[in-house]
Amino acid sequence: MTHAATCFHCGEHLTAEPLRDSIAGAEQAFCCTGCAAAARWIADADLGDYYRLRQTDAARVGTEAIDYAAWDRADLLAEHSTVVDGGREITVLTDGMRCAACAWLIDRALTREPGVREIAANAITGRIRIVWDDARTPLSALLSRLASLGYRPSLATGEAHEQARRRERNRWLLRLGVAGLGSMQAMMFAEALYLDTSGEMPLPTRDFFRWITFLVSTPVVFYAGWPFIEGMWRELRGRRLGMDTLIASSTLLAYFASLLETVRGGVHVWYDAAVMFVFLLLAARMLEQRARGIASAQVDALARARPALATRERGDGSAEQVPLAALATGDVLRVAVGEAVPADGVLLDDDADGDGGTAFDEALLTGESLPVSKRAGDTAFAGSLCRERPARLRVTHTGADTRLSQLVRLVERAQEQRPAIARAADRVANVFVTALSLIALGVYLWWRVHEPARAFEVALAVLVVSCPCALSLAVPAALAAAHGALAKLGVLALRGEALDTLARADRIVFDKTGTLSDRHPRIVAIDTFGDLDRSRALAIATALERDSGHPLAAAFLEATAQEGGAIAATSARNVHASPGHGIVGEVEGRAWRLGRAAWAAAQDARGGDDEAALWLGDGQRGSARFRLQETPRPEAAEALQALRTQGLSVALCSGDAEQAVARMADAVDIPRGRPHGAVHVRARQTPEDKLAYVRERQAAGEIVAMVGDGINDAPVLAGADVSIALADGAALAQRAADFVVGGGDLRRIPQAVALARRSRRIVRENFAWAIGYNLLALPLAAAGMVTPWIAAVGMALSSLLVTLNALRLTRLPASRAADAHAPRI
Amino acid sequence: MNILLALIPISLALLGLAIWAFVWAVRKGQYDDLDTPALDILVDDEKPLPAAGSRRGVADR
Repeated sequence: MTHAATCFHCGEHLTAEPLRDSIAGAEQAFCCTGCAAAARWIADADLGDYYRLRQTDAARVGTEAIDYAAWDRADLLAEHSTVVDGGREITVLTDGMRCAACAWLIDRALTREPGVREIAANAITGRIRIVWDDARTPLSALLSRLASLGYRPSLATGEAHEQARRRERNRWLLRLGVAGLGSMQAMMFAEALYLDTSGEMPLPTRDFFRWITFLVSTPVVFYAGWPFIEGMWRELRGRRLGMDTLIASSTLLAYFASLLETVRGGVHVWYDAAVMFVFLLLAARMLEQRARGIASAQVDALARARPALATRERGDGSAEQVPLAALATGDVLRVAVGEAVPADGVLLDDDADGDGGTAFDEALLTGESLPVSKRAGDTAFAGSLCRERPARLRVTHTGADTRLSQLVRLVERAQEQRPAIARAADRVANVFVTALSLIALGVYLWWRVHEPARAFEVALAVLVVSCPCALSLAVPAALAAAHGALAKLGVLALRGEALDTLARADRIVFDKTGTLSDRHPRIVAIDTFGDLDRSRALAIATALERDSGHPLAAAFLEATAQEGGAIAATSARNVHASPGHGIVGEVEGRAWRLGRAAWAAAQDARGGDDEAALWLGDGQRGSARFRLQETPRPEAAEALQALRTQGLSVALCSGDAEQAVARMADAVDIPRGRPHGAVHVRARQTPEDKLAYVRERQAAGEIVAMVGDGINDAPVLAGADVSIALADGAALAQRAADFVVGGGDLRRIPQAVALARRSRRIVRENFAWAIGYNLLALPLAAAGMVTPWIAAVGMALSSLLVTLNALRLTRLPASRAADAHAPRI
Repeated sequence: MNILLALIPISLALLGLAIWAFVWAVRKGQYDDLDTPALDILVDDEKPLPAAGSRRGVADR
């Protein structure tokens, strides 16, 4: 069979000499041994159906072996799993599950492991619940199996928390079920009463029906409707009138008024109104919570929490894994390439070769776009990623003293001090409750004077009829629809009320590294010297880079593709990395070095040792120079233009150097200088500076939206009125944000803003409808002309109208439908 | 109208039954995952499988 240019298992691009294996009778190519092994195992286990069922490619398995032995530690199991009958139960997260077929594969694969009692994998939330017999099999064996299939497990938020989450969800489902079934039955009985239009029903039969309806509605009002009653209690204790007060008081009013009328044999009962109200609102609220629940579950999955362990060196030089909490100042740690540094520390000499220098990627911590080279004696910060080669460091600060923890505290403080923007719904509810009580009182007094016998009944009717069902539905229905539409755009909404704020935002502040740029530098210039021409130099450099796994490889591959891709035939041999310097290898019999000027082209090093330039040479003479630069994401300028068209002012705040920030501002067309009396492009900003800038704009009366991705952005994300984090950024930033944008596509931000504005408009329309209905119904009720069936029909119609109006939000405008099939992040 | 005396208790009993069935389904996790089970019917029954390496044999259920 012909080999495609992509890996059979994960769909990534292949290297020059891909691995081949015969799967199900056909030869397939693989990008790495991990993917090949996974496909082999799947075929051997007769689970090949996975490839037929899946809708998207799998995640790359990779060759990096992870040791899960730490997960078998008793202290970890005690904290993160619970003892169940015949074993233990744990919930792990994975970010590799992309469609239901993945969940199916995980289920089949793990069920076969000895000692596994139960597996439940959920592709939507990215969670896998494992019940296993810990006497028969260690957890690490199961997790290694998962990892070998490309699903790297990470810790969920703790088993107790996971169980609470499931219990909470089930409780909501039960409430909704009880409300649905109960209100259906109560409506049936109410129907019998309505159909008796001429009042022929004997009184005992009528009262019998009323008592039966009472019996059926009671659990609906008090069990299913409990969240509203609880909410009202909370609001009343906080001395404010909100939506829950409105909902609970109207339900309880309709219920108790009916009970009173049942006992004293009055004319009307409104049990059906009470139960329908509970059911509709419960459904709306559940949909809204579900959308947000899924969003936050996915963000948890992105957080990739691992057991917080560090590799500590013992006195005799051997290594052991210890929990972070056990680290003390003075300990010597080892950090592998690609791992995060667990605590602030000073780099130590490495006796193997030379200076112990390596590079640390601090992009998430400081916003610096290129890895920072450090030598022995320099400080490495917790949270930065180790690049190029393993590091040894002596701990100087642990836990709460690290720079990372200071940022976490800053996030918490910023969140507490977030300026309160009153929710429109609560304001409306407040006015409504007050006005309605006054009107009811007025009506009662008027009837008291003119026809005392009917005063109570009419006042009750006024209260029940104007029961603000449509009004209370207006917001949750719109929010539920808007969250669905946002999810289709690839934007996860984590906090419900943030949508309203996003619609009103008038300044949007961007971070640079990782937000406007995608953290991958590109080749912007190639200078050649001597015997090579441009494309030849690029071909050699690409061949060297391609198989090195070096972070810059992507930049070279991309440049080659742009040049026409014909150069890909060149291949390099004996490639190896020289840490801190670059790459050495042979291309067509000639030895090449690609890296720092002083190392690859010692004689020719023109222009100094520029961090952003790579030289290709033989060690002495330089043949070519590649200038790498951070470039904006391809869609950044378009996205920013769209935001400006929407009337937002754009600003840029970065921790990077002046020059890099200025270049970026020019590239995406953000005016520098002081266009309106303040500087809106700022470089060398610490997290504290960024927060101060946002506070300053807020003090100037602006509603500020912040877009960021790094840990250094987290405090300002938490402090801005509304904040957007990128899905490929740091977990801390995502937890501090209101929205998470998937796929690294900035165009989704103006789309989300447009959607937020549309949903704000629809909420307003809904309010107008609901209030209009009440204005119509109130006079009728006050005149004593409303019977329960009119009230029920009016209520149902107005609610239906509001819901249908909200559903308009789920339809995307045609221009956006094209890119709306959002990839899962 | 005496038929009501029989029909209404019956309807209440059916309501009780429906709620019980719903509670049972929620407790049993029938609503936990609404996507994966849909795939199960698309594939053939499990065959006895030789798994790779030491993981030979079928799980204990």
